[in-house]
Amino acid sequence: MSKQWRRHWRRGTFLPYLLLAPAVVLLAGMVYPFGLGVYYSLTSYWLQYPNRFRFVWFDNYVDLLEEPLFVRALEFTLGFTLVAVVLQVGLGLAVALFLHARIPGRAAIRALMLMPLMIPPVITALMWKIMMASTNAGILNYALSFLGLGPINWFGSTQGAIVSVLIIDTWGNLPFVALILLGGLQALPTEPYEAARVDGAGPIAMLRYVTLPLLSPFIVLAVTFRAMDSLRIFDVIYATTTGGPNDATTNLQIMAYQYSFQWYQMGKGMAQAIVLLLLVVIVSYLLMRLWNRASESAQ
Amino acid sequence: MRTRRHWLCGVLLTALFLTGGWLEAEAQDDQSLAYYRQAKINWRQAEGQSLTIGLNKHPFTESLLPLIPEFRKLTGINIEYLILPENEYFTKLVADLSQQRGEFSVIMTGPMRNWQYVPPGWILPLDDFLNDPKLTDREWFKLDDFYPALIAANRWNGKTGGGVGEGPLYSIPVLEESYILAYRKDIFDQYNIKVPTTLEEMAEAARQVKKNAGIPGIVARGTPAIGTVATGFISGLKAYSDGKWNELDDKLAANLHDPQSVKYTEAWVAMVRESGPPNWANMQWYDAMEAFTAGQGGMIADADFFAANYEDPKKSKVAGKVGYALIPVGPAGKTQSGLWTWALGISKATKNKEAAWLFVQWATAQQTLLNATIGYRNYNPSRISVTKDPRVQEIMGAWGSGSYLKVVAQNLETARVAWIPQSERTRLGDIWARALHEVYFQRIPAADALKKASGEVDKVLKEAGIR
Repeated sequence: MSKQWRRHWRRGTFLPYLLLAPAVVLLAGMVYPFGLGVYYSLTSYWLQYPNRFRFVWFDNYVDLLEEPLFVRALEFTLGFTLVAVVLQVGLGLAVALFLHARIPGRAAIRALMLMPLMIPPVITALMWKIMMASTNAGILNYALSFLGLGPINWFGSTQGAIVSVLIIDTWGNLPFVALILLGGLQALPTEPYEAARVDGAGPIAMLRYVTLPLLSPFIVLAVTFRAMDSLRIFDVIYATTTGGPNDATTNLQIMAYQYSFQWYQMGKGMAQAIVLLLLVVIVSYLLMRLWNRASESAQ
Repeated sequence: MRTRRHWLCGVLLTALFLTGGWLEAEAQDDQSLAYYRQAKINWRQAEGQSLTIGLNKHPFTESLLPLIPEFRKLTGINIEYLILPENEYFTKLVADLSQQRGEFSVIMTGPMRNWQYVPPGWILPLDDFLNDPKLTDREWFKLDDFYPALIAANRWNGKTGGGVGEGPLYSIPVLEESYILAYRKDIFDQYNIKVPTTLEEMAEAARQVKKNAGIPGIVARGTPAIGTVATGFISGLKAYSDGKWNELDDKLAANLHDPQSVKYTEAWVAMVRESGPPNWANMQWYDAMEAFTAGQGGMIADADFFAANYEDPKKSKVAGKVGYALIPVGPAGKTQSGLWTWALGISKATKNKEAAWLFVQWATAQQTLLNATIGYRNYNPSRISVTKDPRVQEIMGAWGSGSYLKVVAQNLETARVAWIPQSERTRLGDIWARALHEVYFQRIPAADALKKASGEVDKVLKEAGIR
C-alpha cells in the first residue's frame, strides 16, 4: 500500500463508500430486473419469434386499451381487492376483539389460529379445491346438505368461482390481519378506557369512541398489506380456476401470466405487469398517507 | 487353529457368493442388452458424453425413467433429465430453443408442437441420422413397425397451412393417442340405451343416463384452454362436417364461425349443459378422466389410452364395465378422429448430436417401448409389434370385453392430425375454448361467440406474421 493510500485509509476517506457498498449492490439487484422489465414492456418481445424483436414504444400499453379482457381483468382486480380487504379486515377485527377478551383457552386458540399462515397458499388452494367439489362428493357440499342447502357449484359457475376464491383467500389471510390487530389492541393505553368508564360509556360506545380511533393506525396497516397482496393475488387463483370460468376470475396478474408464459408474448405480458405495479404503488401510496394521518391523530 | 479354518471357509464362501452374484448380474445385463447389441452399430461411439433430456410429467416419462440405467450401461453416455409439469415444461423448452442454448439435447415433443419449432429451425430433421449406417441399423430399428399414421403425423414439409405427412421426420413417436367414445356398458344395457352413432343420439343417450342412473351423462374437459377443444370436440366436429371443415381456410383466415361449426357447437354445448357435470367449466383432462373412472359419468369422448385408467381394477370403479365405440359421426357417417403422439426430437443447439440420436434410437427401439408398456403401463403403443405382443394383447385385449382393440384399430385407419399447421395453434385453441365458455354460460349466442373468436384468431395470426 502506498503512503498516499494509507493516509486516505487512516483518514477514513473510503469508509462512507465502503459502508454504502452493500446498499448499492442491493439497489442494483433490484433496479436491474425492474429496468429490464420496463424495457421489455416497450418491445415486441415474443419468445417464439426472436427475429421479430423490435422497440415499439408504448404500443403494448395502447393495445391494452383495445383488449376487452384487460378491462374485465382490471375490474376484477379492483373489485376483488375491495371485497377481500373489507371482508378480511372486518372479520379480522372481530376475531382480534374476541381473542383480546378474557376467554378460557385463549392461548390454545391463538396458537391454532396461526395454522393457515403456515400452509403455503397453493396447498391451501388445492385443499379447498378438493373440499369444494361440485357434487356431494365434496365435503363442503356434503356438510351443507345437512343444513338443507343444495349442492353449490363452487368452481363450475362464474359467481361460484369468485366466491370460492374469496373464501380461500380469506381463510388463508384472516389470521394475519387478526394478529396485527390483536397486537394493536394489546398495545393500547388503559387510561382512555378508565376515563370512558368513569364517564359511563357502555361497551359499544367504548368500541366506537375509544378502541377504533386508537386502533386506526393498525387497521390502516392491515388494510395496506392486504390491499397490496389482493391486487396481485396469483397462487390461489392459478391453482383453482386458472382465471376461469368465462374469465370470471382473471385478474391482471393471471392475464400477464397467460400472455407471457402460455402465449410467450413477453412484451405484452410485461406491460400488463407494469400496469399492475403502478396500481399497487398508487394504492399503497394513498394508504400510507392515510396511515400517517391516522397515527398522528391517534397520538 | 480350528476357528481360523472356520474363518477361512467363511471368507471363501462369501467370495464365492459374491462372484456368483456378480456373474449372474452380468449375465442378466448381457441378456437385457443383447437385444440392442444385435444392431450393427457401435453403441459406444459417444462414450463419456453427456445429454440432458427435457421431459414433461406424463405416464410415458414414468415408464422411461426406470429404463435409463440400461442406456447408460449400453452406451456409456451420461444422462441427466429435467421433468416439469406440462405448462412449465413447454415454456422452459421454448425459452431454451429460442435462445439456442442447447440445455436440452433430446426433447419430448409431438406433431403440433413441432409446428412451432421447425420454422425457426430449432429442431433437427431425423432422416440424416436414420440414413447414416454408422448411427442406425435400419433393419434392426424397423421404422415401418410404427403405425404409419403416427410417422406421417411427425413428418412436415415446414409450410404453414399444410404439408403434414410430407417432408422430413422431426420426431419419433413413443405412444399413440387418438380419440374414441367410452361409455358405461352396464348402464347402457340396464336401461336399454342405444350406443350413439350421431351427435343427436349422443345427446339423447346422455339424457337417458342422467335420468335413469342419476350421474352426469357425459363428462368432458372444460377449462378455458386448448385441451377442451383439442380431443373429442374437434374429432366430433371433423366427423360432423365430413372432414371438409378446417379451423382455418385456404388463406389462413379463421373459420370457427362456419355455419356447420356453429350448429355443432350449439348441439354439443347444449348436451353438456343439460347432461354434463356442474363443474364442466373447471375440468382438466385428468378431472374428466378421473370422474369417469370413479363412476361419475355415462360417456366420455377423449383419448383412447385413458382406458388403461378405466380398466385398472386397483383404482377404477368401472373396470370391466366400459364399452368402446367410435366418436359419433355426422350426416356423412364417417369417423374423423384427431391424432397426437408424444414423440422424441433433437434440439439443433445440442453439442452431442450423435449421442442424442443414440438415445432417441434406444428409447424408441422395439424392446424399450415393449418394456415401457409391459412393465410401466405406457399406453397406447406406437409400434405395431408392441400392440401385437401376446403379453400386451392379454392386457389390452380384455378391455371392453375385447371390443377395445378393434375400435382403436378401426379408428386409426382414418385418424390424422386434426389441425392446420401453424405456430399459433395453442393460442387459437385457447381462444376457441374461451368462446365455448361464452356459449356455455349463455353470454352470447354460439354464432356471435365463434365469430368473435375468429376475429381474435385473425388478429393474432397477423401479429405473429403468419397471415
